[in-house]
Amino acid sequence: MNLSLIDWLIMLVYFVFVLGIGFALKRYMRTSNDFFLAGRSIPAWVCGLAFISANLGAQEVIGMGASGAKYGIITSHFYWIGAIPAMVFVGVFMMPFYYGSKARSVPEYLRMRFDEKTRAVNAFSFAIMTVLSSGISMYAMALLIQTLGLFHGIIPDAWIFHVSIILSAVIVLGYIFLGGLTSAIYNEVLQFFLIVAGFAPLVWIGLRNVGGWQGIKNTLPSNMTHSWKGMAHASTNTLGVEWVGLAMGLGFVLSFGYWCTDFLVIQRAMAADSEISARRVPLIAAIPKMFFPFLVILPGLIAVSVTSKMATANPAIPSARAAAVSGHTIVSSPPGTMPSATVSKSTGALDDEHPKGIIPLKTDPLSGKAVLDSSGNPVYNYDLAIPVMLLHFFPTGILGLGLTALLASFMSGMAGNVTAFNTVWTYDIYQSYINKKATDAHYLWMGRMATIGGILLSVGAAYAVTNFNNIMDALQLVFSIVNAPLFATFLLGMFWKRTTGHGAFTGLLSGTIAALVHHGLTLPVDAAPGIHGGWITVLHQYPSDMAQNFWTAIFAFSINLVITILVSLVTTPRAERDLVGLVYSLTPKPIEHHLRWYQKPATLAIAVLVMLVALNLVFA
Amino acid sequence: MGLDIRIPLGLIFLITGGIMSIYGFVTRNSAEIYEKSMGINLNLTWGGLMFIFGLIMFVVGRRQKWQDDPIDPRPWEKGDRPLP
Repeated sequence: MNLSLIDWLIMLVYFVFVLGIGFALKRYMRTSNDFFLAGRSIPAWVCGLAFISANLGAQEVIGMGASGAKYGIITSHFYWIGAIPAMVFVGVFMMPFYYGSKARSVPEYLRMRFDEKTRAVNAFSFAIMTVLSSGISMYAMALLIQTLGLFHGIIPDAWIFHVSIILSAVIVLGYIFLGGLTSAIYNEVLQFFLIVAGFAPLVWIGLRNVGGWQGIKNTLPSNMTHSWKGMAHASTNTLGVEWVGLAMGLGFVLSFGYWCTDFLVIQRAMAADSEISARRVPLIAAIPKMFFPFLVILPGLIAVSVTSKMATANPAIPSARAAAVSGHTIVSSPPGTMPSATVSKSTGALDDEHPKGIIPLKTDPLSGKAVLDSSGNPVYNYDLAIPVMLLHFFPTGILGLGLTALLASFMSGMAGNVTAFNTVWTYDIYQSYINKKATDAHYLWMGRMATIGGILLSVGAAYAVTNFNNIMDALQLVFSIVNAPLFATFLLGMFWKRTTGHGAFTGLLSGTIAALVHHGLTLPVDAAPGIHGGWITVLHQYPSDMAQNFWTAIFAFSINLVITILVSLVTTPRAERDLVGLVYSLTPKPIEHHLRWYQKPATLAIAVLVMLVALNLVFA
Repeated sequence: MGLDIRIPLGLIFLITGGIMSIYGFVTRNSAEIYEKSMGINLNLTWGGLMFIFGLIMFVVGRRQKWQDDPIDPRPWEKGDRPLP
């Protein structure tokens, strides 16, 4: 891929700002409170945008675009069912306990509510998970830069992957090391607006090209353009999940387990300037989140609908020249970067030869040959859906903006994980178990060291992550094992005062073990035993790996719920006076008398839910 | 924090939008560049919109006083000072 000077300039401006924000904020980082909690001084809308941006990493942009191209608009369930209800719940019901308890992290809340050992389990598993996620983001970014040949001709091809990893690591390290959580939050806001600015024109021009939503509907099979069609049975929809698995596994267990307990996102809300702001953060975040499918899933659908007939429908462009130009940037890249033959031909019509629009075939990076599945059919590289869209539709100039948006999304995902990691490490691991009585200046120093350590571990993880085709599946697996049982612990802890520390601890461990065992005993139909499951023995086969993930989560949650209740009933609960501010029934309701009806979080929550129902009806 | 996010946000959109619209203006007659985007000069139009957005953000950010500037002493820090 040949980028012009103007594209590089736009990317450079972004990187200057990213690091500049870190430098500008450095002088405000005087205490550990400033570094880890942004001094609890950020307005709700800023935290709200950071709240979704932190989650907008590789799994979001690349994974969702890929899923959009592969499964269709049904992917929007990951937003509409898999995020919004949980975001409303955490804002309205759970945030008063996180913010009001003055806990500095989610594991710390667990210590206040339960005991030291429950916190330890959560702190360690969370620390490992953040490093893994950050590593996956880093790996995906480097792989993409390598595949697109972004640095081709500037540095030797063999170094591109390594240089990309090091470069992204150094930049993220730089701005977090200097400005801590505030720097991460500010950059996430920049990233949010850049992602919108970069992808909105892509969707607009793409839709124009394929004849709008109606054009996509005419080109693609109907199960790709309806989100609820065929959900009654696993065999009649593209995800291979029936509605019970979807609603319980994704909509309840995985989604609530992530949005309501994951410190990566909760940390953004905890940085808000007041409890009422903190409660508004997830609700404000829910509004753009709801519309993100149009920015990240729709390009995937457009990519599989593009045909040469439509591309040249504009009479201003002679068809032969259009094909030459649209293939130009890619054809000129050498073997080993983009699969040139595939992409230059992929401007062909949506016919038997190119059934997947402009999605390129997956090629072996070493031999350059197309990858075939077990039955000899070619495999499509869905992860390239959005990058290919950018190259296909964006001319020089705005192409730089599009690539900046893509890089910004990777960085926000990484930075979110790194800030969550340095806080949990410093407060919940270092201060709790290694050095309890140090000065605040020492913990601030440790936070900066943890940032370096976290980045180094992420780099290690990035090199370790290679086994998965679809990044989404990998992350869902990590989430289902670590996060899924967790929500039962919080649900019982916050809303049942009888829950005991022993109960929570035993339940959490049993839930995690249940997730592992379930994964080891089941297998998606088209996978071999191993990393995809079935490593103990295969007792049951699921129609898809997504169905397996959802049911793993459901089992983990249920086992945790039952075990926690049983153990709590036979152990001694804490005195009620110790649980004020930590448990729903013992805590005075938040005071809202001074707020007008439209300022109350509940009003915002209802508005969000009404919009959610409307979107589901439109795309049912 | 002492820095209003709308200032850097406004600036980055002013600069990026500015670069894009100038480039779009210079290349406005180049059919070859804009064949990809179906003949639409995305640099000029979208760059211009980004520039306006950046301007609004920058002006609003400059006008509004950012709350709780920590360069001023925090409430708990005021007590430590000797009384004048």
